[in-house]
Parts: sequence; C-alpha cells; structure tokens
Amino acid sequence: MELLVCVKQVPDDSVTVTLDASGKPNLGGITPVVNAFDTYALEMATRFKEANGGNVSVITVGDLKENEKSLRSCLSVGASTAITVSAGDADAACALACGIPAAGTYDVIFCGSESTDVSAAQTGIRLAAALNLPVVTNVLALEPADGGLTVKQETEEGYRTVSVPTPCVLTIVKPAYDPRYPTMKSKMAARKIPISTVTVDAPAASDAAKCVKISAPAQRQAGVKIQEKEAADAVAKAMGMLIDRKLV
Amino acid sequence: MDYQKLTPELIEQLKAIAPGRVFTNGDINEDYTHDEMPIYGKASPEAVVEALTTEEIAAVMKLCNEHHIPVTPRGAGTGLVGGCVPVEGGVLLVTTRMNKILEYDLENFVVRVQPGVLLNTLAEDAQKQGLLYPPDPGEKFATLGGNVSTNAGGMRAVKYGCTRDYVRAMTVVLPTGEIVKFGSTVSKTSSGYSLLNLMIGSEGTLGIITELTLKLIPMPKANVSLIIPFPDLESAIGTVPKIFMAGLKPQALEFMGKEIVISSEAYVGKQVFPREIDGVEAEAYLLVTFDGDNEEELEAISEQASEVVFDNGAIDVLVADTPALKRDAWAARSSFLEAIMADTKLLDECDVVVPVNQIAPFLVYVKSLEDEIGLTVKSFGHAGDGNLHIYCCSNELEEAEFISLAEQFMEKVYIKATELGGQVSGEHGIGRGKVSFLKDSIGETSMALMENIKRVFDPNMILNPGKVCYKL
Repeated sequence: MELLVCVKQVPDDSVTVTLDASGKPNLGGITPVVNAFDTYALEMATRFKEANGGNVSVITVGDLKENEKSLRSCLSVGASTAITVSAGDADAACALACGIPAAGTYDVIFCGSESTDVSAAQTGIRLAAALNLPVVTNVLALEPADGGLTVKQETEEGYRTVSVPTPCVLTIVKPAYDPRYPTMKSKMAARKIPISTVTVDAPAASDAAKCVKISAPAQRQAGVKIQEKEAADAVAKAMGMLIDRKLV
Repeated sequence: MDYQKLTPELIEQLKAIAPGRVFTNGDINEDYTHDEMPIYGKASPEAVVEALTTEEIAAVMKLCNEHHIPVTPRGAGTGLVGGCVPVEGGVLLVTTRMNKILEYDLENFVVRVQPGVLLNTLAEDAQKQGLLYPPDPGEKFATLGGNVSTNAGGMRAVKYGCTRDYVRAMTVVLPTGEIVKFGSTVSKTSSGYSLLNLMIGSEGTLGIITELTLKLIPMPKANVSLIIPFPDLESAIGTVPKIFMAGLKPQALEFMGKEIVISSEAYVGKQVFPREIDGVEAEAYLLVTFDGDNEEELEAISEQASEVVFDNGAIDVLVADTPALKRDAWAARSSFLEAIMADTKLLDECDVVVPVNQIAPFLVYVKSLEDEIGLTVKSFGHAGDGNLHIYCCSNELEEAEFISLAEQFMEKVYIKATELGGQVSGEHGIGRGKVSFLKDSIGETSMALMENIKRVFDPNMILNPGKVCYKL
C-alpha cells in the first residue's frame, strides 16, 4: 500500500508560549519540531509498512527550507519520500487537498488527530471532505482487510472497530507505543534523500473557520490546603467541602 | 563532648532571634529527623530554626556557642549519608527559606544567591538569561548550599567539572557567630590558603554558608544525546577512554546495565532503550550528550563518535535530537535512584570514584559480592569520571541483619576501591554514614589533620557534630 503521512512543524510543546505586547504568540527561541500527533501517525504507518509491505511518504505545507529539518527527521524514522506543498496563503487542508493528488496516488492518508500548537483538529476531516474520501477519526490501530482496512477507533466511551475502504483518511491519536528513535545510520541515509516540492494554486483560506482572537489561558486559582494533622480530621474537612459545593 | 540541652530560656532567646520560625517538640516535622538514607540513623533536634538572614544565623550560632548547644545545618534534606541528621539534638538550622536569587552580574558571569535556592530553580532561571549553571547533580531539588557543602558533581562533571569549579565567593557564619567572606568574583587567586575551597565539601562542619557567588557560562547553543547499546558491560566501559582519545568532549557520559534500565523504564512508564537489535541482545548502554555551537558541528561530532563506538563493539547508535526524544532518554537515567527505592525495602549505597580504566574490573568484583554476601547489587554511574553509584538491596531481610550484611559489603567495596586507587565518595560526601570507611581509606594522620582543622573553626565542636572527620 502507498501510505502518506501529513505532518506539520510546530513549536516544541514542552515550552510555555507567552503572548507579546501586540497579543501575538512569542515563538522566538522555541525549537520547531514535528507535531507529536503526526509522529504517532508516522510510527503507525511505518509499523504497518513493516508488517504488510508498501511505502511511507510524508508531506507538509510550506517552505522547503523552513521545514527541511522536520522532514529529514521523518525520513530517518520510516518515511522513504518527502514532499512539500507550496500553496501561497491557502490553509493546510486546502493546500493538501490540491497538493496530494498532484504528488501521487495514495491508499491511506494519515493525519495527526490535532496539532499541539492550535489544537483545532480540523485538517484531517476537511482534507477528507475536499478529496471526497471516507475518514475515520481518533484511530489507535489498523490492519489490512479485504478492500480496505479494519481500524480501532477511540471513542468517548471506549473503543469501536470500524471497517473502511481504501483510499481513505485516518486521524491518529496516541497509541500504546512511542515513536522510534532515529539511528545514526538512518539519519545519514535520510540526508541523501531529495525532497520534492509541489506548487499548487489552492483557494485562499476558507472562512469556514477563522481565528477571532488569541488569548493566554486563565491562571489557575490557588488550591485549598487541608492541613489537619489527623487523617480522620482531614477526611472530615475534605468531605465537608465537597458536600458544601454539592459535589457529593 | 559535653553538650548542654536547650532550656526554656534559651528557646525564648531563639524565638526572639527568629520570631515565628522556631519549632519545638510536637511542632517539629518528622522529615527533620533524617535525610534520604534513614538507615544511617534518625535523630530529633530539640528545636528547629528556619532562618531568613545571615544576621539571624550569626545570632543563633553566638548563642549556641556560648551555651555549648550543638547546631546542625540543613538544606532540603536530600543528602545520602546522614549529613544533616542532628545526632546530638540541639538546634537544627534550616536554610530553605533563604531562597532568593539576589543578582546576576552579566559582565562577570556570576550570580549571587541565598543558600536555600534549589538547584532546579537556578538552572531554569539562568537558562532564561541564556546562561548555564553547569553542575548537574541528579537531585534537582537539593539546595545550592547543600550542593556546595558536598561538592556535588553530577552528569555534566565530565566536561564542566564539579560544584567546586563554580563557586567564586561565599558568606559564612562561623560556629562562634562571626560573619566572614571567602573568595571574590575574580577568576584566579594566589592569596594564601583557600578558605573558600576548605569550606566547599565540608558538609556543614566548619561554618554555615549564608550566601554564594556562583560562576555561570553562556548556554551552549545546541546539544544531542546518543543512546549506545552494547552486548556486554566490559565493551561499554572499555569504549569510554576511546571516546576521549578520539578528542571528543562529551558533556555527559553515563553507563548503565540492562537490569537497572528495565527497572527504571518500568518506573517512569516508558521504554526508550532498545533490548535487542538485529538479533543481538543489549546488556549495557552508554548514554552520551555532546554540546556545541550549531547542529552541523554536532552532526560531525555524532558521526565521529559513532565510528569510535562501532569500532569498539556497539550494536547501534540511537540519536536523541529533538527536545522530546532527549527528555525521554534522560528521564529513565534521572530516575534510577527513585526506581531502586520504589523496588526496595532496605538499601545502602556508596558512590565511590575509581580511575576510569578500573571501572570494569571494579564492577565485576562488586557483582561477585552479590552471591558472597547475599544481597542484591544494582549499579550505575558516571562512566566519564569513574564515579559509581552502587546499591546493595534486600526485600526479605530484617533491618538488623541487613545492616550487618551491608556493612560487610561496604567494607569489601571500599577496600577494593582504595586498592584500585579510588576514593570513598565522588559526590555524596561522608556525613555520618561513611566516617569509618574514610578513615580506613585515607589513614589516621589525614583524619587527624581534618579534625584539627575543624577545631580551629569550631573550638567547642558544636557545629554538625560526629560528621566527616570524627565519630562521637
């Protein structure tokens, strides 16, 4: 199968982002990394390839120079081809919807379920809609089945097994395993792989969803410390507080 | 030594010196009776004083010296040799509320801090200024005063040195209550005996540090970590000198056996270190970090290091080059002690340091004691500087029997380390738990010199009695 993983470069999510005086995110000095959910998608695609054969490609939207390090990082942990889509001001889903058919033919398109910078969780489902492909969101595992795939989907109540024909789009959540580390040999090999660019004339950002305002999250209020020395007194006080707030 | 007990009148005087911050009897937190190795004995102070200023500490010392009241200084209590346990009762003088970073001097690359600032706090704050405080002991929530008092080392010691190399000056309250300043911000000196260096590593036996001026360096711009699995411990350790001979200067160079990696990864809930590569089982690992000016430089260094380790039997080289991969790679290493403690009912520990070329034979000997003595042995350490952390553990024995076997174990371990040209402690100190072993290692004359130095500083022997250089 031809497997394509859509990746986005985001600021390192372990760093707290502050807003500057004009209200814009202050990203100076924060290391750009591949979105964590996209790394889960790449690892899942790579494991699928190792078990069932096929090829894994990665695709991103934006300037090659700005994204090269992230793409080479993907090439060192399972991908064998990398593509950038140059699409002017188009948003990611529109750019990918134009760029993917121009780049090749794929059986399964993987997206992280969301990105760690804006967490909008839009790209996978809007891409599927634009390409008129079936989509399964929040996927934890997949295996081949007649004419398509059987996937394990995470739901709010638990898990659901879904059959889906290929080609299709899957959005991936954190599976039980972690992405692999690159090895020295795989990194050196990744440096030699050419990265292609697909230039498309995609529609500008749609107004289906637009950013209205960026604000810092509210500060958490200080908690209440229960400092009774005896366990029984502490439990009684805690229970009293829960009852007062009608929580039990 | 004939010490006096605190009277109600003396306690009132302490309360006048530190209003609202003197605790007695049932108000004393149980944590104040021990450090992280209670096996070396617990003891309650008669009073705890949580100091805020140099002057308060001077007043407490003057009062206690006049009345022959023992005083034990304490930081965060993260020590591993019973150094802050108030074995003679008296006053426990706690510095954790003296926790302010006072001033950065960016022209001289120094920072002034109070002794109760935590290592983690300074490391994070300095990073925001684009600076690195290089000492990096495993326990990030120790106080800087405690780090200086034990000359703590840590992971980066192999390239940057230990805490001693980053202390420029300090304010000290002597046991008599006098306030003195040792050192200055200058980078070299030939001005008499270095009292500054005498204080560093003196474990709170000569004076109480109340302010520190510490050296910083510009933060290296980039770093990369390599996880290097080996088929056996000998080839992992044997590779260490080859890395240095190739002209490589790792910022950190740690070795670890398979068992402790499995245990620690189970503790942190994430597997990073590969167990098997192309059918070859990994029995030991090196975890190496290099720092540099840019990523191209680090790529070249990583390639050179890979050639060296492959030539010496490495099975693979995994590259941690993103913040998440580096965090995960070091999370397991940083949790070794906690993982051992979580798995173990009773344990004793030593942190001997041996010449780098003696690490492998020393570890083989230590492992052989497992059967001979009948205790489980776990070890890891700083391969780059020969500082080894060795734990003997038991989940079955009663405490008295364990202590007896652990003493036999430690005696043999220290004798062997001394034979190989090693020293009793690389970074944890001597405290209360290792005094006899230090005496066996360095001899009576050196011990007497140390004790006599203490008497010059502390004529009434009231400060941290029974630690480092003599037993009570």
